[in-house]
Amino acid sequence: MSKFMAWVDERLPVSNFVKNHLSEYYAPKNFNFFYFFGSLALFVFIMQIITGIFLTINYKPDAASAFASVEYIMRDVEWGWLIRYMHSTGASFFFIIIYLHMLRALMYGSYKKPRELLWLFGMFIFVLLMAEAFMGYLLPWGQMSYWGAQVIISLFGAIPFVGESLALWIRGDYVISDATLNRFFAFHVIALPLLLFAVIYLHIAALHTVGSNNPDGVEIKQNKDKDGKPVDGIPFHPYYTVKDIFGLAVFLTIFMFVVFFLPEFGGFFLEKDNFVPADPLKTPEHIVPVWYFTPFYAILRAIPDKLGGVLAMGLAIFVLFLMPWLDRCKVKSIRYRSLTYKILLTSFVISFIGLGYIGMMAPTPILTILGRLFTLVYFGFFVMLYLTSKNEKTKPVPERVTMYE
Amino acid sequence: MNKKYVIFFILIFSTQLTYAASGGQLKPVQIDLGNKASLQRGAQIFFNNCAGCHTLKYHRYSKFVGDLGISEDMIKSNLILTTSKGEKTKLGSTIVNAINHDSIKEGFGVVPPDLTLTARSRGPEWIYTFLTSFYEDKTRPMGVNNVLYPNVNMPHVLWYKEGLKEMDENNILTVKVEGQLTQKEYEQEITDLVNFLTYVSEPAQLERYSIGLWVMLFLVFFAFITYLLKIEYWRDIK
Repeated sequence: MSKFMAWVDERLPVSNFVKNHLSEYYAPKNFNFFYFFGSLALFVFIMQIITGIFLTINYKPDAASAFASVEYIMRDVEWGWLIRYMHSTGASFFFIIIYLHMLRALMYGSYKKPRELLWLFGMFIFVLLMAEAFMGYLLPWGQMSYWGAQVIISLFGAIPFVGESLALWIRGDYVISDATLNRFFAFHVIALPLLLFAVIYLHIAALHTVGSNNPDGVEIKQNKDKDGKPVDGIPFHPYYTVKDIFGLAVFLTIFMFVVFFLPEFGGFFLEKDNFVPADPLKTPEHIVPVWYFTPFYAILRAIPDKLGGVLAMGLAIFVLFLMPWLDRCKVKSIRYRSLTYKILLTSFVISFIGLGYIGMMAPTPILTILGRLFTLVYFGFFVMLYLTSKNEKTKPVPERVTMYE
Repeated sequence: MNKKYVIFFILIFSTQLTYAASGGQLKPVQIDLGNKASLQRGAQIFFNNCAGCHTLKYHRYSKFVGDLGISEDMIKSNLILTTSKGEKTKLGSTIVNAINHDSIKEGFGVVPPDLTLTARSRGPEWIYTFLTSFYEDKTRPMGVNNVLYPNVNMPHVLWYKEGLKEMDENNILTVKVEGQLTQKEYEQEITDLVNFLTYVSEPAQLERYSIGLWVMLFLVFFAFITYLLKIEYWRDIK
């Protein structure tokens, strides 16, 4: 075996790669609950690709047969229902994981120097993932697929001068049609997954260049022993591989529970209206995007002007890209930051969840007011953070990481 | 592990669930997909009364063999009522019928919808309430109206079983003409029918709960083993 590895290593540095990225890649030893979501996101990405391949084997990207082909998968394909539910549930869990992964970064300042690029790549992944999910949602060709896509694409029409032509260009037709379904299929199964793969690679490459942050926000590379190993670091393999396998097992228990017992998740993961084939002549009473888009949808609706709403929604995502420069505090972790930041982040999280709730409800006067209030809090977070973070009163950051069990 | 976050997370979702679950004035219906006899009776009612106009076009006759325990001969002689190119429709075909879309539209104003997924899109309670909410209304073309779905174009096909109800000034339905069945028997038949349509809307339900249980048992055990592994490896990390 060792002879074989030597032969391979002379031609391709496999052993070196394993050393650099696993067995001698040092990660802080104080990772907590929030640090499971990176590896889980990678797992779900791979799971989506594999289940997706099996789905494409029987799916037909054709307006006349798409809906029926999904039902064919659900009934006549061996284990087709399981693969379909894993894929549809996987989409929702992907967003749960990504949102918690991003919250972790906000809590422990993981976007700060020297991890700005890491954060930017992560944000690109988030945007690509939203596009991927949006286009994938059209494929079952149900009523909500159709009308959801119709509403979202018509938003581009609000852009002055080029808007209508842009919307037409995206759809390939004057309404959502077979042409749209075909191109969304192409984007969903090949263009976006390839891009995602590339940016995820860059995200991990950047991570392994600068090393992981941790709940204390202490740079473990600044405290090395005489062999040059970080004293607060432990090799990723075996320590974090075994820990992440445990995290994965817990995740799978929850995930498979939903797949087998609650695949529709009360209409949140699979909407009821999507079991009715797309009908361009019949608009559903209440068009709602899937839950993971509703916070941004609520911001869109909070602004009374269509163009203003579209801009606000775009800004809500764009402003996250700027986090490394909006947050001017030198201390990374929320553990050693001021009460101000704790209040700001808490209200941000509440406003995000609140907007998510409002976005899936039919608009009422009270919800509209609440939606505007939460939109204000959402953007207020970034403004207040910029203003308060420069001269923030922080607690002393310890030299070494702290361990809790 | 920080339990607080996990609980917080569960709470957010459970409140949404209860919100989604609270419907309008739908009547509850007891769905029991383990009751094969009920599913078979439901199939019988469907093919005797509904299949003339409504299709189950995503479902196949052959599925009834394994799923409902109905023999091939029984399906061929009792459930398959259509022909295709002069021959009796094959067992492996999807469940469609012979209606002409143009003429049925002239007669009823709409093409009767396919019912494969109605139990998923509207819910079993909706179908149950719909089929128990017809009442006499002489102003309507079919002579009946529906409380749940006002001015629906569907005639009360099962009136010979249920009888005919009329609505008084307090919007309460009372039986005007007796049918073949008592109210209780009729409600039981509709329950069987809804049970059948619930199965048709998602045949995987027959197996997914029992498989899911084994998957859960395995994963909990797997999580426990990996937890012990993690503890063992991390013993030396202070």
